Amino acid sequence: MDKLVINDLTFRYKNSGPDIIQNLDFTLQPGTFNVLYGPSGCGKSTLMKIIAGLYPEFSGHVTSGKMYIDSEDVDNWSTQDFSKHVAFLFQNPNDQFSMTTVKREFIFTLENLGMPVEEIEATIDRSLKRVGILGFKDRQLDTLSGGELQKVSLAITLAMDSDLIMLDEPFACIDIKSRKQLLELLKDLQENDHKTILVTDHDLMGYQEIVDALYHFNKGQVRPVLDPEKVFATYQKENRQLLFEKPGNGVESIIDLHELNLQNGTKSLINSASVDVFKGKMILLTGENGTGKSTLFSALTRLHNYHGSIKYLKKDILKYNQRKYARYVGLIFQDSQMQYLKLTVEDEIKLSLKHTNYPDFWTDETIEDYLKQLNLDQLKDHVVYQLSGGQKKKLQIFEMLILGDPVLLMDEPLAGLDLHSTKTVMKLIKEVASEQELTVLMISHQLGGLQDFFDYHLQLKDQCLTYTEVLNYESIS
Amino acid sequence: MNPSLKLGLVLIISFELAFMQSVIANLIVAGLGLIYLILKRVSPKKILWMLVVSIIPVFGTWFSFYTHGAGDAMHSAWLLSTRIYAYIFLGGILSYTGTVDELLGSLEQNCHLPSKFVYGTLGAFNFAPRVVLTVKQMKTAAMMRGEALHVWSPEIFFKSILISLRWSDNLSQAMVSHGFNETTTRTHYDTFAIPWWNWPVAGICLVGLQFLAFSGLF
Repeated sequence: MDKLVINDLTFRYKNSGPDIIQNLDFTLQPGTFNVLYGPSGCGKSTLMKIIAGLYPEFSGHVTSGKMYIDSEDVDNWSTQDFSKHVAFLFQNPNDQFSMTTVKREFIFTLENLGMPVEEIEATIDRSLKRVGILGFKDRQLDTLSGGELQKVSLAITLAMDSDLIMLDEPFACIDIKSRKQLLELLKDLQENDHKTILVTDHDLMGYQEIVDALYHFNKGQVRPVLDPEKVFATYQKENRQLLFEKPGNGVESIIDLHELNLQNGTKSLINSASVDVFKGKMILLTGENGTGKSTLFSALTRLHNYHGSIKYLKKDILKYNQRKYARYVGLIFQDSQMQYLKLTVEDEIKLSLKHTNYPDFWTDETIEDYLKQLNLDQLKDHVVYQLSGGQKKKLQIFEMLILGDPVLLMDEPLAGLDLHSTKTVMKLIKEVASEQELTVLMISHQLGGLQDFFDYHLQLKDQCLTYTEVLNYESIS
Repeated sequence: MNPSLKLGLVLIISFELAFMQSVIANLIVAGLGLIYLILKRVSPKKILWMLVVSIIPVFGTWFSFYTHGAGDAMHSAWLLSTRIYAYIFLGGILSYTGTVDELLGSLEQNCHLPSKFVYGTLGAFNFAPRVVLTVKQMKTAAMMRGEALHVWSPEIFFKSILISLRWSDNLSQAMVSHGFNETTTRTHYDTFAIPWWNWPVAGICLVGLQFLAFSGLF
């Protein structure tokens, strides 16, 4: 008996719009580990939301096709029927929860399913124990990191007893160590609890040993990959050790941190860090999930309180006029939409051109040329909020580069971008940064394809910030 | 006391208070409210805060009625200013002696409020800390792009609406993905019963209130 059968499925968001999914056929065998890969923005998330029963309930229209889960026609299923059979982990783990603590979320979920009250406590304990996070039971959800939230989500799917677990780009914001742990956990659930697992990812690192079937999503259709080794090989090659120089003595600094202490609630993140950020350099900032990389960026942009001193060009950042300082140190937010102020792609770019520090550099031809490279040239009249995740990211990075602020902080700008887009974006950043002598500090978990782009590597580990020469990230596979 | 019953009682008292013409009744309600807060071990800081914050509106009300009031200006001035204190402590009872979770849970079980409303509201309350942070981020993000957002800028409203829409969509998808469905029956981990003694207490409060209302006190 097949776990999931989809026949001839066609889906579109708007009645008049294009088909995102076109006459798609897809079958999953029970108790298998499946990976679906494809470029960003191709419709992988859409397909998953359809399987989870969220679409067309929340958005879009299914214009043709049939879907069967455990050989049952799902046409008349309620959302609750879906949730008993299919568990779905969102791309952004923060979006998964509606209550405040781990326990409350569990209770909410189990009450929804009508579980008798006397079984609830034991079910929570059993599920948390299975995932190895019993200690999280009374934690507030907003104090957990992305990786920890994913584990809580998984534990909840166990409590719900759904047999098909789907994860949508689960590692986009997760460090290598958590990624490895989660993959091991998923494999364990598949082998010992006979769960059927379906993961979408654009990065196939670490999957080779554990998948049973690999599928490729392209142009609205899913095809099984018959020679997965070949595909995996191309992904493995990208993954090596990254080598960096160590900053020499003669390099000028632009931001100086002195005895910096950062906290998140009561948790200490950075303890007495004294380090310089060097002018005109591209610096990669790495560190495990929840170590405080994003919080450091918030402190640098005056969005988070800190102890100690942060100086920009030898002057305390708190002494600058707020508006002026915002144009010295810019931040590319993890959430692209935070950056937008206008409605269409064209207006967004115009706004950046109005305030650019390098009006001579950004001629119409240069803009057009870069837009083509980014595959955004056909989307000028599109509403920014309706772009795909990858397109939003690309536009966001581009418009911040046009502004040409002396320091640009980038928080996971490559999350959700496929290998090809990553390279295009990195090339763009490198070109513009060297042309305009920008200082770039970038957080990235995605390290594939980053060779030769960065001057230095700043590591956040054990609450300390240090420049290191070697960054290993191969250990995963 | 059961949160729903407490809410009902506070609402009835507040409503009747609005029509009562007695300074002493106001003071008695405010005093009883204060005693209840103290008995419930609400922190002295919070109680002090309620007293301090209200000084300006109380004094303002008193002064404007005293100087511009028609008829018995003195009585009106004291009546309106003491009424503020009565309301503040009644509000304090609702805010400080119970949580939103308890109130909504009780309304769902005791008053049969639709679960969609209860959990939707609860989810929205859980978003509150994010709202403050997001507004700050929105302003900074705009400054980084060379634009200043003010309270009157259309962009800030536009962005707020967009973000709210996204949040509400996310929230409902999060709830549904964890099995929420308004039409099916759910179980209740925390149960809210109305203990028998709640009824006589509520009754005594209401009867006492009628005495205050119709006894013609100053």
